[in-house]
Amino acid sequence: MNDTPSAGAQSTVAEKVFTFVDERVGLKLLAAKMLNESVPGGSRWAYVFGSILLFIFSMQAVTGVLLMFYYVPTADHAYDSTQYILHNVDYGWFLLSYHFWGSSAMVLCVFAHMSQVFLWGAYKKPRELIWLVGLALFALVMAFGFTGYLLPWDQRAYWATTVGVEIVDKVPVLGDFMARFLKGGATPGQMTLSRFFVIHVMVLPASLIALAGLHLFLFRCAGPAGPFRGTPTELKAKTDYFFPRQIWKDVVGMAVVFACISAMAFWEPVVLLEEATPDPGDYHPEPEWYFLFMFQHLRLKMFSGEFGQFLASIALPGALGVVLILLPFFDRNPERNIFKRPVALIGWVMLTASILLFTVSAIINRSFLD
Amino acid sequence: MNGPLPPTKLGFGILWPAFWTGLPFKLALAVLFLAFGIVHFENRIGLAFLMLLASPVTVLALPTITLGLDSHIGEGAGIWLLFVLAVPIDIWALRIVGRTFFLERLQREPPSWLGPTLWWKCALVGAMYVPILWMVQSAITETAISAANSIFETSLLKGMPVAERISIDLTIWVTIATATLLMLFIIGFSLVGRMIKGTVESAGHAPENYQGLITRWDLMRVPADQGLMLTALSGVAVVLSILFWFSLPVFTPHPHDCCKKPEVKAESPFKPLETVNKNEKMIAHLAAQVELLVEQRAKSELGKARRKGKGKAGTEAVDMREAVDTDSPAATNQ
Repeated sequence: MNDTPSAGAQSTVAEKVFTFVDERVGLKLLAAKMLNESVPGGSRWAYVFGSILLFIFSMQAVTGVLLMFYYVPTADHAYDSTQYILHNVDYGWFLLSYHFWGSSAMVLCVFAHMSQVFLWGAYKKPRELIWLVGLALFALVMAFGFTGYLLPWDQRAYWATTVGVEIVDKVPVLGDFMARFLKGGATPGQMTLSRFFVIHVMVLPASLIALAGLHLFLFRCAGPAGPFRGTPTELKAKTDYFFPRQIWKDVVGMAVVFACISAMAFWEPVVLLEEATPDPGDYHPEPEWYFLFMFQHLRLKMFSGEFGQFLASIALPGALGVVLILLPFFDRNPERNIFKRPVALIGWVMLTASILLFTVSAIINRSFLD
Repeated sequence: MNGPLPPTKLGFGILWPAFWTGLPFKLALAVLFLAFGIVHFENRIGLAFLMLLASPVTVLALPTITLGLDSHIGEGAGIWLLFVLAVPIDIWALRIVGRTFFLERLQREPPSWLGPTLWWKCALVGAMYVPILWMVQSAITETAISAANSIFETSLLKGMPVAERISIDLTIWVTIATATLLMLFIIGFSLVGRMIKGTVESAGHAPENYQGLITRWDLMRVPADQGLMLTALSGVAVVLSILFWFSLPVFTPHPHDCCKKPEVKAESPFKPLETVNKNEKMIAHLAAQVELLVEQRAKSELGKARRKGKGKAGTEAVDMREAVDTDSPAATNQ
């Protein structure tokens, strides 16, 4: 006993606290499991999107809680309280603008993350469940954007929600119920605002935290897929641990995203339109930018009429969703190199190009409406 | 891996990671300058940002584009300051990336002064090529837009609905512009690759096998003094955060016309004791005035009664005096 050095006599208070907690919950083992995961082929910038999404969600939660200190979710105070945040609360303009642009950044990063997984072929066996939970998370992010857009209660918010709910109404069987549930009345009003607020600040965050946890758990079970190119010797030579290099890249990615969102908040701070009324006046209703490509489809003549509208707003996006859900089950080819999967590559390029094209078309179309 | 790389791959292999390596630092500076209000990008925000982030090749091209082609991207001393500060960042990024690339991809010994050598070569190619790219791209995009528009002027397509017309128009000119840009980028990368080919050829072969090279490459990425590196980075992050929050405007720097608040003058604070004293003084003053008026009225009525007693003589003269009394300010106050 006397030969062993007395560690306790020399350890600092912090070390004592760490040892105390470690003895009870196994901190060292937990840290080793979290940080020492091997990354086949080494760390890469392409892998940063998952961590960036977690970072953006955390920032959205922080700014959202700060905004809730001042926001009043009632039809007669929502607009005024938002104006108060913008013009009277210290740094309120920055918080609101950061929250607004943060939601757009989240949509972009989800798309980038899904694109990376798709192009790397990382949805294939044994990672099918990670892909499916990822799709559910994507739906939640879109729902966050949709429900949050109404809360400022200006004309843009009101009419974007009206358009969105009308699209939901077109869903067969469940559409009518869902639209009535969301609106809570014949036209959007207090009930709609209350429901959207509760969904935005309670239901969706809880669901997202649960699903993100499941996503990470499944990811740790299956392990990272690694690059789609390289010989086993090259991959083995470059294999690295998650800490410190991948973590360093993740931190840099987060800093870049923070800087980009802050820059957008400076360039285009949130400016509200007139307070919401059931009369659109001169305002041309349209949804938020990430639904614009779908909205522009509805303007095409080939999608006019009841059936055409259903086709463009429900059937085609629904079919795309089903294809994405079934993708890991019908694409059983183990080949992951995107340059050896021409259908996947062309499909991704076409989809991305058409989303971009129709989004820009919708923006140009605005000038023809005035 | 062992064969010589084509110039396009060589140029792309150096510039692409150098672009991303320098990006976080330049972005941090850009946001800081925005918070200070010394950078004002104009409509071409995306282009301005790309020019800044790709500064190894745009730093010397910018003056030509700004002055020669009269196509400025923004105003403010911050833009020029950003480009000046981008120079050491780019040299550092090209050094890091270049050494990695030489060892891992080319299996050659990285020469000394690799960072500055790569930087001046990239900047020289950029100074000559980027203005040409700018001009060609602008001309082709403008031509493509007008050509696409003219297609819809033909009688066959004149009645086409607006939404369809916009989509087809956009598809035509964006495809042409994107294809041109890609082609010009490939030529640019090839030129950079050709320019740095000499540096590659003059470098000696690395003696290690692949595993040895990777180990060396791996160790190159670990800072010599990790504690110092971490402390320095944390210090810079803290300083940047403090500067950012100090320079961040408390209220919106862009109040919109529709949302300007009306100027409201603040009311002076209510002091009950002073107000009571003031009101009491006012009441006393008014009471004294009323007393004076009552006295005057009584006097005038007494005078009237006396004059009546003297008889009807001089009635007209008394009426005249009364009229004068009624017009006086004291009478008006009654």
